[in-house]
Amino acid sequence: MYRTLLFGLLVLVLLTACTTSQPSTTETAPSTSPQAPAQPSTSQEPVTLRVGWPGFPDTLNPAYAFLTESYTMFDYIYSTLATESQSGEYVGLLAESWDVSDDGLVWTFKLRPNVRWHNGEPLTAEQVVWNLNAFIQNPDGWVTNSGYVAGFVEARVVDETTIEIETEYPISNMAYRVSFLYIVYPPDFEGFATPAELQNFTNFNAIGSGPFKLASLDKDQRIIILETNGDYFDGHAKIDRVIYQTFDNSDAMIQALKVGDIDLIGEVPDSAFAAVSAFENVKAISLPGRSITELIINSAPADHDPKPNRNPALEDPQVRLAIATAIDKQDLVDVVLQGNGTPGVTIIPPTLGGGFWFNSDIQDVKFDLDEANRILEEAGYVKGSDGVRAKGNVRLEMRLQYASDQPNYPRTAGMIANWLAQIGIKATPESVDPDSLVVATNPNADYDLVIWGWGADPDPDFMLSVMTSSQYVEGGWSDSGYSNPEYDRLYLEQQKAIEPEERQKIVWKMQEMVFNDRPYIVLWYGNILQAYRSDHFTGFIESLLGIDSFQSLMNVEPVR
Amino acid sequence: MGSGNYLLRKFAFALLTIFVVVIINFVLFRILPGDPVRAVIGRNVKISAEVQQSLREQFGLDKPVFPDQFLMTIRQWASGNLGVSWSLRRPVAEILISKLWNTLLLIGLGQILSIFFGVLLGLLAGWKRKTALDAGALTFSLIAWATPTFWLGIILLAAGSTWLGLPTGGILSPQNVGKPLHTVLPDLAVHLILPTLTLTILYLGEYMLIMRSSIVETLGEDYILTAKAKGLNQWQILWRHALKNAMLPIVTIIALNLGFTVSGAIYIETVFSYDGLGKLFQTALTKQDYPLLQGAFLLLAVSVILANMLADILYTILDPRVKAS
Repeated sequence: MYRTLLFGLLVLVLLTACTTSQPSTTETAPSTSPQAPAQPSTSQEPVTLRVGWPGFPDTLNPAYAFLTESYTMFDYIYSTLATESQSGEYVGLLAESWDVSDDGLVWTFKLRPNVRWHNGEPLTAEQVVWNLNAFIQNPDGWVTNSGYVAGFVEARVVDETTIEIETEYPISNMAYRVSFLYIVYPPDFEGFATPAELQNFTNFNAIGSGPFKLASLDKDQRIIILETNGDYFDGHAKIDRVIYQTFDNSDAMIQALKVGDIDLIGEVPDSAFAAVSAFENVKAISLPGRSITELIINSAPADHDPKPNRNPALEDPQVRLAIATAIDKQDLVDVVLQGNGTPGVTIIPPTLGGGFWFNSDIQDVKFDLDEANRILEEAGYVKGSDGVRAKGNVRLEMRLQYASDQPNYPRTAGMIANWLAQIGIKATPESVDPDSLVVATNPNADYDLVIWGWGADPDPDFMLSVMTSSQYVEGGWSDSGYSNPEYDRLYLEQQKAIEPEERQKIVWKMQEMVFNDRPYIVLWYGNILQAYRSDHFTGFIESLLGIDSFQSLMNVEPVR
Repeated sequence: MGSGNYLLRKFAFALLTIFVVVIINFVLFRILPGDPVRAVIGRNVKISAEVQQSLREQFGLDKPVFPDQFLMTIRQWASGNLGVSWSLRRPVAEILISKLWNTLLLIGLGQILSIFFGVLLGLLAGWKRKTALDAGALTFSLIAWATPTFWLGIILLAAGSTWLGLPTGGILSPQNVGKPLHTVLPDLAVHLILPTLTLTILYLGEYMLIMRSSIVETLGEDYILTAKAKGLNQWQILWRHALKNAMLPIVTIIALNLGFTVSGAIYIETVFSYDGLGKLFQTALTKQDYPLLQGAFLLLAVSVILANMLADILYTILDPRVKAS
């Protein structure tokens, strides 16, 4: 029946299209535009890379940006003093080099000469300092910058190509911090008197000094066109234009790549990756990224307000150990991610800082159901007639919730529930919308086990902060409720440890504490899955920054 | 005078309905679980707990829902201002107008086509009852009506883009964005083919089925027999006696559907990345963007109620009995 229907529909499509549209492909659609000639081949045609993505920036004003799409655009349009390189280290961008005073309180940045704004005006040290001081003095206005300038006192011009930043205390991750401080064109921003005025400014005609210029942005059609900045201070891209087009549906986006309507997809869903890999003229890329997925165990302090609502057995370290022992992470990676990831160990992914921050000394618990059963048996949890273990009146029966917006969580929850059932723990999977899950975990502390994830920051600081007790307040980022005064103390200490080796030692210690106490059982580190048309373009740089990073797009060239 | 009174009553009732809807919506959105600030910022880790608190104040969420937030909303609306969307950072009225045009174009076109073909098919099927034509049209309509929107959209998208080179999404090709409308009409038409076709197939079944059963019923009435006895030919009977009476239920359905046209078609707009109101409703809900939600649902309520009024008025024209009662 369905086959007949399908055939009928296809006939209908054919009829409709034959009668209505002869010039059907988008590229050759009749148009008066000189940019889209019907016959390609002239060397005048601009080389255009077309990118499909699932969203659209909420703003191009770095003062107040929520969505990741905005930050993608910032990297193309604006420059920063330093930036993360393909290997995870920090390299200069507007700054050639930097140095810190012996007391760790004054940073000196040597600026590159001859940098120009997109409108041709020179970018001066005064303007950079104007930016930094605006962020420092007006944190209520420059909301999304404010965290990165915490502890900054003042920025000063030393000479035409040198600036200084004075800080209140030593700051261990200065290069990382300035890599998120996008330098904007001051005349566009000087007129705002109140935080609200600044925040309501979307700057959709942005002027920056980055490798690509904004040519046009249409927020109703959701199309962004970037042009190569020929005056960029560090060479320039070999393509002329980049077009970003929004797709609301990932199947449609993948189809667009397949038929060549777009050349690049920055985020291929796990479930579609195998199919995309098999497309003709498409290269699919799977690279270690920075995201982690974890099983959260309710670790809120007993005196938390409101009182934690959870299975009390979860407070028992042996029960936590048994759960960790009963999860086959490799199997999760193979089945759920279809191999596109690695089993997780600590809260810091191995890619941060090129592996510098990841504690490689930690030996993960080995998957062993017999051993998990033995641990529970020894801890006094006895199997009842229904196969569920209990100790006194505490039965090992619990909720296993997961965020409903992630397509691979239901499968994950099913597999974990199945393993737990084999060790006498009855875990009931339940899909919960992310908004409710936020409130259930923090501040309500009303959950047992939750599967969720983080797209970790390039610096270890953020992932470490998630486990501090000061984040377990309404609006804070802690969801486990983990509270450990020693850990909190180390967190502050690593922020001020200017010597990288010294900071590394503390960061490793903190990972070990979280690993042993298990507020999180880190399930896996996910890969970045991307794909591009290999018959159209070549030269993409494959790194944890993604093949759509500005460094990569500057290296891309058309296939001749 | 009787008719004027009738309309006046209808109008007053419509106003009352809108008012009730506004109040229910206001309450309903605020009892949704979750925190709007968190929904708007997503998992953007650059926004600390303190900043979230200041956003809460800026959105007016730190004040009690009643009376403060309610009065603030009513006061704002009374001055003709729908507020600014929290997630899209644009005035709500401006967003609604820009998406309304897109939606009216797509859904309106799909509705007109499906009404035309659906009514025609239903008429023929009902008239030629128990023939191969009837069986074929009935089967097609039942299947079309039962087909999941998403599935049909994706199948047509895959087929159309692979074999016919039709675009995979959007309203215009990127290079045509921002050009004067008359120069990009062919491009716009090409982009509309697949979503319109999907929509037409999906709605056609409903119209066909209702029209068919209505015409079958009408053809069994005594006055049709009388007309036959008077010696009128089949066309005259169908056209002058059956059609007008059989159209009554169709008018109701059309009016109702047109009202909901404004709610867009979330699935079709999502499959074809067509930036219309349906998609906007979804965004507003997932982001718990109260100003946008309230504005969008006000628009929806007003259009549904207007469409209903239109149906009532059409009834008084088509069916004199309504006026009498």
